Amino acid sequence: MMLNPLAVLGMTVGACRRRTTAMLILAVLVLAAAAGDALAHAALLRTEPADGAVIAEPPTRFSLTFNEPVSPLVLKLVRPDGSTLDLQKPSHDGTTLAVDAPGDIATGTHVLSWRVVSEDGHPVAGAVVFSVRTPSAVARPIAVPLHRDPVRGAVWIIKLTLLASLFFGVGGTFCRAWISPGSRYGMRFVTRMIVLGLIAAPLSVGLQGIDALDGTLSGVATSETWAAGLSTTYGRTVIVAAVALLLAVVASRLVSPRHTRGLSLLALACVGVALAASGHAGAAHPQWLTRPAVFLHTIGVAFWIGALVPLSMQLAARAPEAAATLNRFSRVIPIVLVSLVASGLTLAVVQLEQPSALWTTAYGNVLLVKGGLILILLGLAAVNRWRWTVPAGQGAPEAARRLARAILVETVLVLGILGVVSLWRFTPPPRALASAAQAPAYVHIHTAAAMADITVLPGRTGPVTIVVVTIGGDFTPLDAKEVTLALANPAAGIEPIRRPAHKRDDGTWLIDGLVLPTPGRWSVRADILVSDFELVTLEDTIVIRP
Amino acid sequence: MLKQVIVAAAVAVCASPALAHVTLETQETPVSSGYKAVFRVPHGCKGAATTAVRVKIPEGVIGVKPMPKAGWELKVVKGKYAKAYDLYHGSVSEGAKEISWSGGMLPDEFYDEFVLQVYLSADLKPNTVIYFPVVQECAGGGTSRWIEIPAEGKKVGDYESPAPGLRLLPKK
Repeated sequence: MMLNPLAVLGMTVGACRRRTTAMLILAVLVLAAAAGDALAHAALLRTEPADGAVIAEPPTRFSLTFNEPVSPLVLKLVRPDGSTLDLQKPSHDGTTLAVDAPGDIATGTHVLSWRVVSEDGHPVAGAVVFSVRTPSAVARPIAVPLHRDPVRGAVWIIKLTLLASLFFGVGGTFCRAWISPGSRYGMRFVTRMIVLGLIAAPLSVGLQGIDALDGTLSGVATSETWAAGLSTTYGRTVIVAAVALLLAVVASRLVSPRHTRGLSLLALACVGVALAASGHAGAAHPQWLTRPAVFLHTIGVAFWIGALVPLSMQLAARAPEAAATLNRFSRVIPIVLVSLVASGLTLAVVQLEQPSALWTTAYGNVLLVKGGLILILLGLAAVNRWRWTVPAGQGAPEAARRLARAILVETVLVLGILGVVSLWRFTPPPRALASAAQAPAYVHIHTAAAMADITVLPGRTGPVTIVVVTIGGDFTPLDAKEVTLALANPAAGIEPIRRPAHKRDDGTWLIDGLVLPTPGRWSVRADILVSDFELVTLEDTIVIRP
Repeated sequence: MLKQVIVAAAVAVCASPALAHVTLETQETPVSSGYKAVFRVPHGCKGAATTAVRVKIPEGVIGVKPMPKAGWELKVVKGKYAKAYDLYHGSVSEGAKEISWSGGMLPDEFYDEFVLQVYLSADLKPNTVIYFPVVQECAGGGTSRWIEIPAEGKKVGDYESPAPGLRLLPKK
């Protein structure tokens, strides 16, 4: 008996034919409906909650009402902390889509991003922005702590090494040339520090490049990293620092004391110039005050630190020149200290802007720790000066030994201070924070038909104001009838948020009451109604900061 | 995915007509001949009733004669054409640039057609598409503007409010 394939499938011939016919009719109807550009983009009539609303209580359900039946594709809720939740099982009842809201809706701005398919199969998408109790921005992303971030950890260590090499190496050379000429003590240490600095300097350029491009440690292999590192102001610092180190090497090799002194002075000055060339402090205003302050501060530090190790070693070995060195150092150090403290306080005042910034900002916290360590250091230095200096200068062995040890403790404290100061690389000072926070985001879109300047104030997440200036394609002012913006963030899953702009008296267009919930690259589309029958659409992307 | 396709198809089958845009009934025609432009208005503006329909006549479309509609006021805005065109009885250098039917009331749940008789001049290029931007004004002040003209390389389906398009075929 031959097996009838249809019988195997459990169908009779008649049923199979009916099913095929039904499919064919369905196919024809679908094709007929789709023929002749049957365009049926559904329009959104009403939403619950309303777009742009600030509501007192978290909603229990979301609903979207269209002007024709639609089928849901995607319904997502973007929460204030940036996480997204797919909303499942929407019910649709005629033209309204409804879905139950999750129970844990937090305070802040949420975005209900929707994508539906209208009758002809064309998708329509949009986003409803609403705030519960108060508008918010996305919470600041938790910064990876230093000890877990290899790039920033490496930047910190290399910066610390470079600073230490400049102060101990070049400062040490200066000290040898001016305070204890001809002494052999501490020379090997100074030379080693200079070599360390010459190794750290180029490495720091590469690390600066990686940090600037926000890359990983493997970026040292690419030339863009190094180009990026050199192109920042930090590049200047490294070049001058390398010059300082090389001058110190040459100075220590010369025989004539006059040449040695001259070159070491030049090297010390280069240290000051290098550290004043970049960094937060040197960049602050007024420049005529801050850059010289940084210069004075750093050469003072170099003088003090440079003398520590040679002095300590001379005193410990009870070298004949120890007394003379100590006396010379003690005579000069008060002036240096006054200049150090004065310039340091000036810079702190300029950077902090107000005393409360000491404990509210990371920059201020670092300054507090540095200040604490400096107070301890000054206390130790004072004890050294008043108790041990005179006896050691007169050659008392016990005093000399005590002083040597005390100076070593000072050296350790100094290293700690340098480590703390290197943290400033990662904390912008309050004055920079304030201006950075308010900086706008801006994009200029240029087409032959029209141009638009779109400015988002401030250019970060949270409540924003958008100003649009419309210009004709030939650079003449364009007096548009209507301007509408649509902002979407595809990476965060946010479909276009549409807002009409209001024309101001000066001819520019304003959108306010908009809350941008997530940072990143937003696509912005401006629909400019030039006349009743003419619409110009401009599209571009804009970057919104966290 | 399959489920969505089936639902979409079922919805397309059940609802009729499956159109929300203002479109032309006959979407292709040869140049250098007469053409009856029928603008189909299936919906109001986001649910509001339509109270006026305004059509802008593109360059190269001449000899425009609109069909009056009971209950609507018909207005023709004349202007100069870019150049003189040959029409049956001589050449014309000016004519209708905008047609409007206003003062009526077409509720959202009803459908109506607005008709023009035009002549497509021989100067229009075959195998291109010309667009008739339409502005639909509604009760309550709302407007639907079907005025987006697709840029190079983009399809009408990429736009939310495309202007009704007419594909020109070679002269018969």
